[in-house]
Amino acid sequence: MEKWKEFKGKWEISLALFLIIEILIFGFINPRFLKIKVLMNSANDFVTVAIIALFMTLVIITGGIDISIGSVVGLSSVVMGLLWQELGFNIWFALSIAIMVGALCGAFNGFLVAYVGVQAMVATLGTSFLYAGISLVIIGFSGISPAEGITGFPDSFRALGHGELFGVPSSLIIFVLLIISVYIILHKTTYGRRVYLTGINKAAAEFSGIKTKLVILSTHMLVGMGAAISGMYITSYLSSSRADHGATLTLSVITAVVLGGTAITGGEGSIVGTALASVIIGLMTLGLQMAGLSTQFVGIGIGLLLVISVAIKSSLGEGNLFSDIKRKIKSKVSG
Amino acid sequence: MTIIKRIFKKREITALAFLIVLFLGVGLRNPDFINMQSVSTVLKGSVIYILLAVGMTFVLLTGGIDVSVGATLGISAAISATMIRDGSSVVLSILVALAIGIIIGLINGIGVAIVKVPAIIMTLGILGITRGTMIVYTNGRWVENLPDFFKKASQASFGGLNHYFVLAVITVALVQLYFSKAKTGRFFAAIGDNVEGAVLVGIPVKKMMIIAYVVSGFCAAIAGVIFASQVGFVTSNTGFDIEMVAIAACVLGGVSLSGGIGSVIGSSIGAIIMTAINSALIFLKVPSFWNKSIQGLLLILIVVSDVLIHKYFQEKARKQRLSAKSSFVGGDE
Repeated sequence: MEKWKEFKGKWEISLALFLIIEILIFGFINPRFLKIKVLMNSANDFVTVAIIALFMTLVIITGGIDISIGSVVGLSSVVMGLLWQELGFNIWFALSIAIMVGALCGAFNGFLVAYVGVQAMVATLGTSFLYAGISLVIIGFSGISPAEGITGFPDSFRALGHGELFGVPSSLIIFVLLIISVYIILHKTTYGRRVYLTGINKAAAEFSGIKTKLVILSTHMLVGMGAAISGMYITSYLSSSRADHGATLTLSVITAVVLGGTAITGGEGSIVGTALASVIIGLMTLGLQMAGLSTQFVGIGIGLLLVISVAIKSSLGEGNLFSDIKRKIKSKVSG
Repeated sequence: MTIIKRIFKKREITALAFLIVLFLGVGLRNPDFINMQSVSTVLKGSVIYILLAVGMTFVLLTGGIDVSVGATLGISAAISATMIRDGSSVVLSILVALAIGIIIGLINGIGVAIVKVPAIIMTLGILGITRGTMIVYTNGRWVENLPDFFKKASQASFGGLNHYFVLAVITVALVQLYFSKAKTGRFFAAIGDNVEGAVLVGIPVKKMMIIAYVVSGFCAAIAGVIFASQVGFVTSNTGFDIEMVAIAACVLGGVSLSGGIGSVIGSSIGAIIMTAINSALIFLKVPSFWNKSIQGLLLILIVVSDVLIHKYFQEKARKQRLSAKSSFVGGDE
């Protein structure tokens, strides 16, 4: 346990170092990058990934994964736009319902994974088709053009994505608030400890009286909710609700979580790591653009970052040792 | 255990039965659906998915996953199409595309088998890198104006069956033969079933895992060339999300994502089902926006029933073992 904590600490410190080096390099290439205003506004672009990644950390710590988030983002966006435009709901009421729909989608994922016993990857693959399909059906019936989506939202709603408080963009405020709340959930509550134990050793967690099924279901519900919150933010920021808003998010979200030090096999990970990794990815996107490279290089950069960081991590002796011990315990308990 | 295995072995049959019911059911509503032409349209359209599913089956059998195939398909389609458009010989273009597929597969395989990066992470990263490279290569533009002979090749048929489909069927048959008859063919499933056990009995685990990813990349590259020939142009979005359809096809055909179970026949029937749903909706005059939700619902239903059947037989087998233990000292354990 000592060794693991040490290692985890090192990973976060190296992430922070990497972040500083990254800022310095991009600042060196283009000095405009170092302006506080520019740095703060970059949150507008990465907060969509970061919101989901924070909640996704919990799911991956329990040993699961959720690849349906992109579809949930689109579905929540469509549901909100439709409730507001076609049914004339109050925009904030529509927003709350959309977030509830996201939570419901997540809960269904969690139900399939925890109670039916379908592998997380397979279950969420199926539901990602289903949720994306449902948003297409909704749009198909309402007769909205899929390319344009629903537009013309009131200014009060657009302020969610464009507003400022004391010069700080709303996206950064949302990001910080969510970091604090998810940090408290995962690191300061019994629920958080249960999430870890479920990931480290499900059988042991079950024997010590933890309802692991409920824990897994709830983490999936949280990530569904996170995806919907992110969907609301994109809808507000781009002022349009469309079914394909989240189509490309999955790669970035999983990259953020894994780069942040969460093991894809479950049991280890931290919110601070995920938050730092989200910022690293966000600033890299901005920096590559400001360095004059086209957005197409961003995918290459993120991919390289993901593969190299995990390769380094898996070749570090301590990481391997820990997972070996974990596997031995697991096989002893289940066998 | 034998009962469970038998059920899973029958999965190809249940998938095939479902496909036939789908054709007959839709045919009852609209007899045009079961005539030669529409059936061959479905088969033609499924070629790409079949090839991807065959490659994916190799990887899934070893217990891995390859989500980079969509990007591999895209980049090999873009590169071969550009070369053919600019006047290179077709053979050379195809060879270059295949080489790219093999290289991508090799990188995936080395990453997973030797560096020990989890398969989903490794291939997800390669997905991002490959897709980015493809867009940089094409500059985000479409590859159009492919020569007619290349596009017409997709129309050629042999005894009423499309050439490409015949190629896919031969591939599936050969691979199935390899899996069931060749000595090394069984290694893939053995690795997915129990890695430590496979190491102990002397299976070259790392080598076989790398081969699985190389085959997957190779198949995706072939699918990419066929895509360019069938569609006649390559957009910068080519292959986007197609890996999900390929994985879904494998799952429909009874390939287990935890490794060790499945066959290429099953996964290619799954691929045909995924394509058939699409055209069935057209023939039922159902708006095409239903397509994705029906595919998703079907996938969930099949997976859930699979798990429930599995659980039922496991429970039954356990009870049998328990009663056997109580009557004979020292059962089959």
